[in-house]
Amino acid sequence: MEASGPGTCGGGAETRGSEGRLAPESRVHFRVTRFIMEAGIKLGMRSIPIATACTIYHKFFCEINLDAYDPYLVAMSSLYLAGKVEEQHLRTRDIINVSNRYFHPGSDPLELDSRFWEIRDSIVQCELLVLRVLRFQVSFQHPHKYLLHYLVSLKNWLNRYSWQRTPVSVTAWALLQDSYHGGLCLRFRAQHIAVAVIHLALQAYGVEVPAEAEAEKPWWQLIVPPRPGMRFHVFSEDLTKPTIDNIVSDLIQIYTMDTEIP
Amino acid sequence: MDRDLLRQSLNFHGPSLLSLLRSEQQDNPHFRSLLGSVADPARGPPGQQQFPGRKERRVDNIEIQKFISKKADLLFALSWKSDAPTTAEVSEDNDGVFSLKIVAFWFNSTLMKQNTELLLVILLLIFSDYYAVMPPLEQFMEIPTMDRRELFFRDIERGDIVIGRISSIREFGFFMVLICLGSGIMRDISHLEITALCPLRDVPSISNHGDPLSYYQTGDIIRAGIKDIDRYHEKLAVSLYSSSLPPHLSGIKLGVISSEELPLYYRKSVELNSNSLESYENIMQSSLGFVNPGVVEFLLGKLGIDESNPPSLMRGLQSKNFSEDDFASALRKKQSASWALKCVKIGVDYFKVGRHVDAMNEYNKALEIDKQNVEALVARGALYATKGSLNKAIEDFELALENCPTHRNARKYLCQTLVERGGQLEEEEKFLNAESYYKKALALDETFKDAEDALQKLHVYMQKKRRKSTSSSSSVSSADESLSSSSSSSSSGHRRHKKHKRNRSESSRSSKRHSAKASSNQIDQNKKDECFPVPANTSASFLNQKQEVEKLLEKQDRLPYQKKQVKEKDKCSFSSSSVEIPDDFGGRSEDPRDFYDSYKTQAGSSRTEKPYKSERHFSSRRDSSDSFYRNSEDKVKMYGYRRFEKDTEGRKEHYRKWEPGSTRHATSPASSDYSWKSGEKYKKSTYSGSRDLSRHEQRYQLNKNQGEYEREGNYEEDIKTEIQGEGLNSKDHSEGGVKKNLPQNLLNIFNQIAAFEKEKGNKPKN
Repeated sequence: MEASGPGTCGGGAETRGSEGRLAPESRVHFRVTRFIMEAGIKLGMRSIPIATACTIYHKFFCEINLDAYDPYLVAMSSLYLAGKVEEQHLRTRDIINVSNRYFHPGSDPLELDSRFWEIRDSIVQCELLVLRVLRFQVSFQHPHKYLLHYLVSLKNWLNRYSWQRTPVSVTAWALLQDSYHGGLCLRFRAQHIAVAVIHLALQAYGVEVPAEAEAEKPWWQLIVPPRPGMRFHVFSEDLTKPTIDNIVSDLIQIYTMDTEIP
Repeated sequence: MDRDLLRQSLNFHGPSLLSLLRSEQQDNPHFRSLLGSVADPARGPPGQQQFPGRKERRVDNIEIQKFISKKADLLFALSWKSDAPTTAEVSEDNDGVFSLKIVAFWFNSTLMKQNTELLLVILLLIFSDYYAVMPPLEQFMEIPTMDRRELFFRDIERGDIVIGRISSIREFGFFMVLICLGSGIMRDISHLEITALCPLRDVPSISNHGDPLSYYQTGDIIRAGIKDIDRYHEKLAVSLYSSSLPPHLSGIKLGVISSEELPLYYRKSVELNSNSLESYENIMQSSLGFVNPGVVEFLLGKLGIDESNPPSLMRGLQSKNFSEDDFASALRKKQSASWALKCVKIGVDYFKVGRHVDAMNEYNKALEIDKQNVEALVARGALYATKGSLNKAIEDFELALENCPTHRNARKYLCQTLVERGGQLEEEEKFLNAESYYKKALALDETFKDAEDALQKLHVYMQKKRRKSTSSSSSVSSADESLSSSSSSSSSGHRRHKKHKRNRSESSRSSKRHSAKASSNQIDQNKKDECFPVPANTSASFLNQKQEVEKLLEKQDRLPYQKKQVKEKDKCSFSSSSVEIPDDFGGRSEDPRDFYDSYKTQAGSSRTEKPYKSERHFSSRRDSSDSFYRNSEDKVKMYGYRRFEKDTEGRKEHYRKWEPGSTRHATSPASSDYSWKSGEKYKKSTYSGSRDLSRHEQRYQLNKNQGEYEREGNYEEDIKTEIQGEGLNSKDHSEGGVKKNLPQNLLNIFNQIAAFEKEKGNKPKN
């Protein structure tokens, strides 16, 4: 499942206010996805299940008004569901414990009483709701796999010392993971996001792809193929510099929230 | 702060980034000093002048520069560096062994807990690629040959593996045209016409004599290590000795290889050349490695990204700031501990009102929730001790102390229980073991008076005994003394003979115990419990007791033989090392198991009111069973205390009987086991030296705080009566095995006793 094109939903560029400030909704989503990621790390989840949880969350609130459901409950259910989808099963008890600790820092774990079971029930019920809203389509094609393959290809082309010195892989991975704070994953193709985060990582460290100037085409244009149905010779039109710039700019926008939101 | 990296970025972006950084990171002390020095007129201008063109070209990326300046403290932090994946680069090589290794690693790290159906995929991957190996990027980028060649000579390093075809063979070596690389950088070099020389001295000779070069032919595909690089003249020297390779590659065989051994990336590159319309994406998507479910983990490892500590440029997500206490495992542990504690509290409440089974259930539940819960272990230990299962109690206390060495109650109870167990052992004539228990208790608590007293008494007693045995007096004053001194005339040769026999008849299990016995320490005791096979139906204990009696009778018919046996036995009980013979056959393990099983049967048969009842009827029952003991003992009383020895023999006899038949094997250990138990019991009941009485009193005082503590002997009876119902039910079964070998008259006696017991056992219940 990948988003078919930009501008469908998921906050981000189109929700930006006139002064470049982000709409309050995306700030809420930022906070909740922050919660998803933090809880995911504390639950020992790998990056892809966390990404799936965020995607489920964003997709849910594409369809549903933010006021309709408690976003944190949806987030907890998304974590639970993502664990199932990505074969890294979580236990609701752990999710509740971690979440409870997140909302009440330093507090003792909940007792396993009726209140606990009520929370558990609501998570499971909400999971069903999420599933129905998403029409049971909860398996996503994430940029992670593409990103890693692109990185391996680049690594072989770059000078190995320059590669070792520069943490491009780690930065690109971090950028990609952070991108899930917004709805980028819904508005762009996985391959494009992968290229964009590498692009930004290379830029951040001032790394140049060797002989890029001499090459017939930039590296990213060769990596990303024509869209299905398009003819081969126009494939360069699929991923254009503006597309990359859009993704990068959206990504940077997400980071501005990091400083704005405590 | 990684200054080189920051400098590289500043050179790339020019002065606008510098000024942004200054304003953004002015609070950061690392940056202030660094940027100050960069801003120095001596060093600043070169950076700005170096890339004027670049700056122009990238006017649009002011947004990126802002981003960099805001996140500079994270981006250029030293800790941000990826772990240099030095070994991972080898994995380019698709050698079977190597990929096996990787897959094994991958399997261990990620898949053990996951779907087993993925195993199939792994197996598939062993024969193909574990990620989508792609043709080199430059092949898609259509970079001019000149640049490629230049970049190759810039990036190639000594120790890299190259693969090429021999183009010509001269007397000083051979030349090869490189077609691909086997390690390090994977480049498309097949069209670059790069030649390398392999000098004669770097060609290992295949045979002892003759020209090593004669082995090679033009056109052979050769794998070799780069030995020397002349970047300026673009000349390469290679070697076929593996010493030219870095250590992590030294396992790779150099020399002639077949075309199947060519790296996968090269084969893909050749495929691409034949169909240049194929796109990167298509090749990637169609590759089996791309759909490998473990591809992400594999590539993360290869690229040195650590998933356990996920990188993030968000300030709130710096996982190093997360407290370990907030992680799921820690929280769960804490929660389980408090849950378990709750169960323990409930259990203690049950215990206080005497509902021991319910209490045990709660304790076990607590330990299920939290295996190492100290409170639950202590509470369960106390319950075991109360019920007389001292070994189990000691186990629990010891485990509790292991987990929490400062637990006061655990220590206190352990001391008390050890002393109590010591007393028990003393009664059973296992003086050395008793001593070790006392000593252990003293080691735990030096000030523990009871242990000290008991140890002293034991020493005095043992000395006395030793004196007596040396004088070989035949006067019998008490049960134990008679055991040790009734007959002391047999030779040591006898003993050896007996041991030997036992070995033979008992098979490997006994030999294990044998060696353990030699050490005759307390560990040995604990182990014994495990060594013993749990009888199929433990409630048959009563029955076996009877069986024993009947065997005794049987034995009397064979007096001559018996006498010899007795002598042996007596001799054994003499020396300290073989005092334990009877003990070896189950005396030790009876209590815990007895208790445990009765506990289980009780729980299983839902007779929850039982505990109360049995308590109520306690005294009467004790009397009756005592009298039973007396009665049944009368039968053998005339032989004095020697019935113990007969038991030994009985067992022996028994063993001999079932030795040949493997079918009977299964039931016999149990019965022999129990024969021993019953023997012990007899002894106990007749055992009435003043020494022991005082000990008993002492012991019960100690445990008052644990609630009603019953004399453990009583408790056993308690269990007996309780399980008698079951015992009777299973009688037929147990009897069946024995009947075959019994004369009819003995059987009758047997049945009479059984009937008598049945009556007695049922009485208290009704």
